[in-house]
Amino acid sequence: MRLIATILFASTALSQAAESAAGRWEGVAQIPGHELKLIVDLSDEGGKDWTGSIIIPGFGVKGAQLVDLHVRGGDLDFAIKGALGNERSGRAELKAHLTPDGHLAGDFKQGGNSAPFVLSKTGPAQIDLPPRSTGVAKEVEGEWKGDYEMMGYARHATLKFANRGNEGAALEFTIVGKKVNNVPVSLVAQDGDFVTVKSDEFGITFEGRFSKEAGEIKGTLSQGPMEAPLVLRKTP
Amino acid sequence: MIHFRFIAGVSALLLVNVAQAQSMFRGDPGHSGKSGAQATRQFHRVKWKFPTGDRIVSSPVWENKILYFGGDDGNIYAVDSETGRQIWKRTTGGPAPCTPALANGIVYATSYDGKFYALDAKTGAVKWKFATEGERRFEAKGIHGLQPKNQTIADQFDVFLSSPVVANGAVYFGSGDGNLYALDAGTGELKWKFKTGDVIHASPAYADGVLFVGSWDSYFYAVDAATGKEKWRFHGGEDPLIHNQVGFQSSAAVVDGVVYVGCRDSNLYALDAATGKEKWKFFNELSWVIVSPAVVDGKVVFATSDSSLFHIVDAATGKSLLKQQDKAYMFSSPVVAGDVVLIGVLNGTLQARDLKTAEPLWDFQTEASKQNKGWILTADRKFNEPFFYHSNWREAPTVATDRQLNIGAIFSTPLVMNGVVYFGSTDGNLYAIE
Repeated sequence: MRLIATILFASTALSQAAESAAGRWEGVAQIPGHELKLIVDLSDEGGKDWTGSIIIPGFGVKGAQLVDLHVRGGDLDFAIKGALGNERSGRAELKAHLTPDGHLAGDFKQGGNSAPFVLSKTGPAQIDLPPRSTGVAKEVEGEWKGDYEMMGYARHATLKFANRGNEGAALEFTIVGKKVNNVPVSLVAQDGDFVTVKSDEFGITFEGRFSKEAGEIKGTLSQGPMEAPLVLRKTP
Repeated sequence: MIHFRFIAGVSALLLVNVAQAQSMFRGDPGHSGKSGAQATRQFHRVKWKFPTGDRIVSSPVWENKILYFGGDDGNIYAVDSETGRQIWKRTTGGPAPCTPALANGIVYATSYDGKFYALDAKTGAVKWKFATEGERRFEAKGIHGLQPKNQTIADQFDVFLSSPVVANGAVYFGSGDGNLYALDAGTGELKWKFKTGDVIHASPAYADGVLFVGSWDSYFYAVDAATGKEKWRFHGGEDPLIHNQVGFQSSAAVVDGVVYVGCRDSNLYALDAATGKEKWKFFNELSWVIVSPAVVDGKVVFATSDSSLFHIVDAATGKSLLKQQDKAYMFSSPVVAGDVVLIGVLNGTLQARDLKTAEPLWDFQTEASKQNKGWILTADRKFNEPFFYHSNWREAPTVATDRQLNIGAIFSTPLVMNGVVYFGSTDGNLYAIE
């Protein structure tokens, strides 16, 4: 009887916490000399997995995906993907708990710095879903190679596409310049003849037009402010 | 043991006595970067700080216990080096981010008002002024990849004005109008001017009747100091796409017939002073070399911007001898003071390293850097780009640079006199530490 009561109580508490955490939350993190405005959207997708996104006005961040999102009772933590972080500073992470008066309070951590924040619920969640990789045409699957020049230095690119069913296409992307760079890929998409590849981490985008007749994907590789023409040809 | 201590003490006193004056950028016309003084191997305290109205990127010079420097508040200052009290200030018509030169009781300085000033060292009274064709910063369309790509944008990292050098009765300096000027040091009369293709904000080095200076037109020049005639020119890298990897912002050091100069094309060059022929180059993986190298005892000491590396290379071959990873960009030039190398870092620290090992000995952090408003720095004092650089559109990069500099960045090249280290900071203070 006692065990059943405990289980019932725990499950009710979890359910309440989950209901409470879902929604749009707005407030500020008190970083020194600056109030960092945060708008966090959290959803448990009707009791399935937790998802979320964040808006940080003034920082060019609209709808960045929340990853490693964990909700345990009234405690939650998550990291921000592709915003307010880089190789040098690491990623931004938030750890929070629901307060008795219905706020979400915790610590915002980034680059080894930490600041307290308090958010208030302002409405239902409006999550920005990140673009998802699509499959690619059968002819695009396989290994493609091409050369380009950037900042006066020659580079060699190898892209190996493989479809992964519902997950869309996966890509192994390597750039060889003075050293070998394995490029982490965020997105692979094909829309008609257009093939797009993105690496948020490296700031690299390749957009090209696939031509079955010419046996090539002809396009432009951009990295930050720089652009270079790149023609990929399939490895026989 | 006491005996050895006594000898060491006497040696230190002798070194101090040798350091009578530091009258121009890098201490001598050849810009060797070698100080006559020994810097402390341990930080003890802030002796004083002198507040001004704006950033200081200028480096102080010293004569007769008086410090002279320029401020971005438009003033040229004379400050008592013992007490940190102002002796005089002279207001120019624009920011004065140059290192003054001193000779025969005259302080020479450039200003963004496009005028060149000769001031009485005792009173600050203007002895004469010379009007250049006008100052400007380096600029280009889509510079550093900023948007809009087709719009000319000033380079936010062109922070220094050319520091004058005085030799043989003439004063020499570069200008944003692209000219290298030679004026009569006594009267300000134009002796000659030498036109280059773009901004000159490096300080000309002088050796054996020749001036050595680089321009943002991608060339480095050797010019006859008497006539203003070109002796040779050396072509550095070009970057027609985003104008990032082009131009000589670094001031050269000329030692034993070799010119050592950094370039925005990421190389440190060693050139034959007589012919301009490249002896060697040291590539820095697309990271600028803005600092002026220090050349001491067959070693070249320099540092980089983005990659934030501190290097000591062999002066004869350019081979790496020592390399240390630092935390932030370095624009301040290294000064070798005895067995200590001092350098300012843009994260708001002044750093002392051992000359033999390049290992850090101590550092001093400005208050603004400690406060770290807006999280411009990570907790370990590296630049935290996501918090100051949000966009490459419109004025965002300029705003980002402002944020970056608000943490008390040290562009200023430190000066060591009598065991005290003097330098400016973008927090607006001139510091004396020991």
